[in-house]
Amino acid sequence: MLTLAEAATLEAIVDRLIPPDELGPGGREAGCALFIDRQLAGPFGRSESLYLLPPFLDGTPEQGLQSPLTPAVRMRAGLAALEAHCRAAFVGRAFAALPPAGQDRLLSEIEDGTRSLAGVNARAWFDLVLQMTMEGFFADPIHGGNRQMAGWRLIGFPGARYDYRDWVERHGAAYTLPPVGIGGRPGWHDAG
Amino acid sequence: MLGLLAALVAAASDETRAETPAERGRYLATVGDCVACHTAPGGTPFAGGRAIETPFGPIIAPNLTPDRASGLGAWSDADFLRALRRGLRPDGARLYPACPYVYFSAVRDEDLLAIRAFLATLTPVANPARGAGFGFPFNLRPLMVFWDALYFRPAPFVADPGRSMAWNRGAYLVEGLGHCGACHGAKGALGADPEPGVLGGGRVRGWFAPDLGGDPRAGLGGWSLDDIERYLATGSNGRALAAGPMAEVVENSTARLTMADLRAIALYLKQDAPLSQPAAAPSPVPNGRIGAAIYADACAACHRANGEGVPGLFPRLAGSSAVQSARPDTLITVVLHGGRAAATGAAPTGPAMPALGWRLDDASVAAVLTYIRSAWGNEAAPVSSEAVRRGR
Repeated sequence: MLTLAEAATLEAIVDRLIPPDELGPGGREAGCALFIDRQLAGPFGRSESLYLLPPFLDGTPEQGLQSPLTPAVRMRAGLAALEAHCRAAFVGRAFAALPPAGQDRLLSEIEDGTRSLAGVNARAWFDLVLQMTMEGFFADPIHGGNRQMAGWRLIGFPGARYDYRDWVERHGAAYTLPPVGIGGRPGWHDAG
Repeated sequence: MLGLLAALVAAASDETRAETPAERGRYLATVGDCVACHTAPGGTPFAGGRAIETPFGPIIAPNLTPDRASGLGAWSDADFLRALRRGLRPDGARLYPACPYVYFSAVRDEDLLAIRAFLATLTPVANPARGAGFGFPFNLRPLMVFWDALYFRPAPFVADPGRSMAWNRGAYLVEGLGHCGACHGAKGALGADPEPGVLGGGRVRGWFAPDLGGDPRAGLGGWSLDDIERYLATGSNGRALAAGPMAEVVENSTARLTMADLRAIALYLKQDAPLSQPAAAPSPVPNGRIGAAIYADACAACHRANGEGVPGLFPRLAGSSAVQSARPDTLITVVLHGGRAAATGAAPTGPAMPALGWRLDDASVAAVLTYIRSAWGNEAAPVSSEAVRRGR
């Protein structure tokens, strides 16, 4: 759904929210941007399950977002506002071209509300990106993220096995089976 | 002497009960499982309308209720006998052998007329649906005269005086009304049935009806008489679960038969052959690691890592005849599309297997089926991706 330029910005963002390190791959390599793109292109991105007719009033925080804008529209607007801000503030450079420390600083300011972006609710947009990045890192790989089960391997989540009866009685033994997703796992296709 | 034995055989299960012909006919119609074909999904039993899939196209099983216009109400006894034993309707038109008249020619007149007496007690239902959607030239019913001439040998049942009365009763049921060979026999050219009693296995609606001969792996060689009886009576015996078309047969027919008749059928199927042990000679399988990995992740939770399943619930795969059948059709169908086992009074659960076709691609299904056909001492030919693709 996203354009190549939008996707490049999003890839840079998810790789700062979950940076690659000695524990494993980051959000970019884990496919978080692909996950987000697919979700935005689907029912979630179109707010298909929400009542979307007026009136639209600012509610309390407990009432959640009160906006006619769908997640897809909000994501696009936020990415565009971020790019416009970067090109104005950093002599024409795109967000993806900033050094990691600069990207972190900017994202942190948006997160804590000290940096506004023209035309959008920057903090709400950040919350949307962070939430979807985490989902993309830990959701079943069948949805495009959690590539090579990077998120599950990181936390030791065994995936979607039917049951663990063979392990119930093995107290103290290390559970060694690899995680398996709804669509299987890499070993189903190559003898890994 | 032969005639007397045959009469005794036909009466063997009925001698202790004083029944009307209609009551006997209800039981015999159950043996023949007439209701399975002659009932539309959700329709009135025996009122016809179910489309039976054949390799030549669909054919609609007609109305057997005594409605005069659309059922059998206007048929004479002679009409009924002629249709079931010679495949001819009262107007002279030839039936297609989707109706197993080839088998019914072995059934005694009294038994067929008892079925007619039972059908006459049903409430008449107007349902004129019938006919075949066959393509040319199979749509030309008169051509059936040639098929009948080629393949149809009407023959009354002849008892074997060298065998027990129970064995002969089993032969009479299996080769006659039970028409087991219609599925369990390999169909020849133009859908011809095999010789009576040749039950080497056959394909039916995406399933493989297993070999009922004495092969220790693919057939009944490893089954005891009790195994066969339990399977037919309940659909489940710790070795196998009846699923697919056989689940319907068990629910509608065999689970409702007397234990004496089931014992007779078991005696006949075993042909007095002793239990035989399969030779253990498993051969290495290409890509066995992939099949083993898929089995461990997707199958072992129910069928267990050692292939032994859970008795009465999840079928045993180790040593299973269905798993080691010559053709893997049943395995492919069950894995791709799922299946449900028979639910009977004695085994009411009717456990189901979920469809896995959305989760496993053709190569994965082939790999895991090849694995289970060669693991735990099983031995059967590998399954190809191409065979799986055809099963989708």
